[in-house]
Amino acid sequence: MTRTLSMESYLLADADSVVARARQGDETALAALYRAFEVPVYHLARRICRTTEDAEDVLQETFFEVCRSIGRYREEGSLWGWIRTIAASKALMRLRRNKYRDTDELHDELTGHRKEETHLRMDLEAALERLPEVSRAVVWLHDVEGYTHDEIAGMMGKTPSFSKSQLARAHARLRRWLGEEVTA
Amino acid sequence: MTHLPMETLVGLREAGNEPGDTAAREHLNGCALCSAELERLHQRVARLKSLPALRPSRDRWPTVRERVRAERKRHRARFAGLAGLAAAASVALAVGVSTLRQPETELTPAEIEQAMVRSRVLESALDRIDPESRVLDGRTAGIAQELEDRIARVDRELEMAELMERQSRDAQLLRLWRERVGLLDALVDVHVTRASHVGL
Repeated sequence: MTRTLSMESYLLADADSVVARARQGDETALAALYRAFEVPVYHLARRICRTTEDAEDVLQETFFEVCRSIGRYREEGSLWGWIRTIAASKALMRLRRNKYRDTDELHDELTGHRKEETHLRMDLEAALERLPEVSRAVVWLHDVEGYTHDEIAGMMGKTPSFSKSQLARAHARLRRWLGEEVTA
Repeated sequence: MTHLPMETLVGLREAGNEPGDTAAREHLNGCALCSAELERLHQRVARLKSLPALRPSRDRWPTVRERVRAERKRHRARFAGLAGLAAAASVALAVGVSTLRQPETELTPAEIEQAMVRSRVLESALDRIDPESRVLDGRTAGIAQELEDRIARVDRELEMAELMERQSRDAQLLRLWRERVGLLDALVDVHVTRASHVGL
């Protein structure tokens, strides 16, 4: 939480005033919110979604929702935390709408990487991009954004065990693709 | 020697103590390979967190702003008196109550669709009242705000429910849409009552 609060004050120095004006429908304040959080929202969306187009749609949907719902923001948590949850929810909705591939096995079958992967060594960006959508979403939400398995499970409509399992499998893959396997 | 699987290593980073964590930590203390693996895991996560920020190629604010403006305009344009409002709300209330009393034994997508339609009817009724452009007394405003908050929470739950598996999703969606209809109905009632009090 400390991280999100400091990020918020860094992005939006006069957050209280901006939020108060945004609640009154002040377009300048709404635009200020957009400008402050545009990059972190897009960054999160792009890490979860497969394409830049999907991520930009999520960015748009997130801020439309923020503009509509800012009057309901109760300041119980950080502003960034509130916006981030909307963004994560929209990104996961987008995955579902795109009929994401739910199993690693099917993903391997479709992309045809299984046999060659032991010989590959790629950078972290490429390896992350190559993970199945759901696994990548879990890695990002848990390891980078700091959501718990319970929270991720709630957002995905799955169980915490599912989230834990996806995270472990994703890390096993990343380790292999990055050439980080430890040999005895 | 059996080394720790990735699921255990990943779990060791979590706060709290899961069953088996104590044994896993004891193993870590005596196993250089597993310790190295855990350290690599920490480093990998640190590298994930430090990946450069990605930026959108297009400015989406003009599109968002236009959508917000269009929605406000629609709200204003829909205000066309309250003559038919009470009737619309009453019909919606009657239908909503009868739906709420139905047993939930036979769930079909049609039932969910029915609840969604009723929700839209009530949304339209609210649009016609145009509550945002009117002044409410403190008590009424408090009740209306509470109902709007609860509707917002239901909307968030509906988004989550959309992500669930089919079997459990339909029952959850139906329950939430019915709850939404009930809340909207109450909100319409609040505004209609307030409107009649001020002689509109």
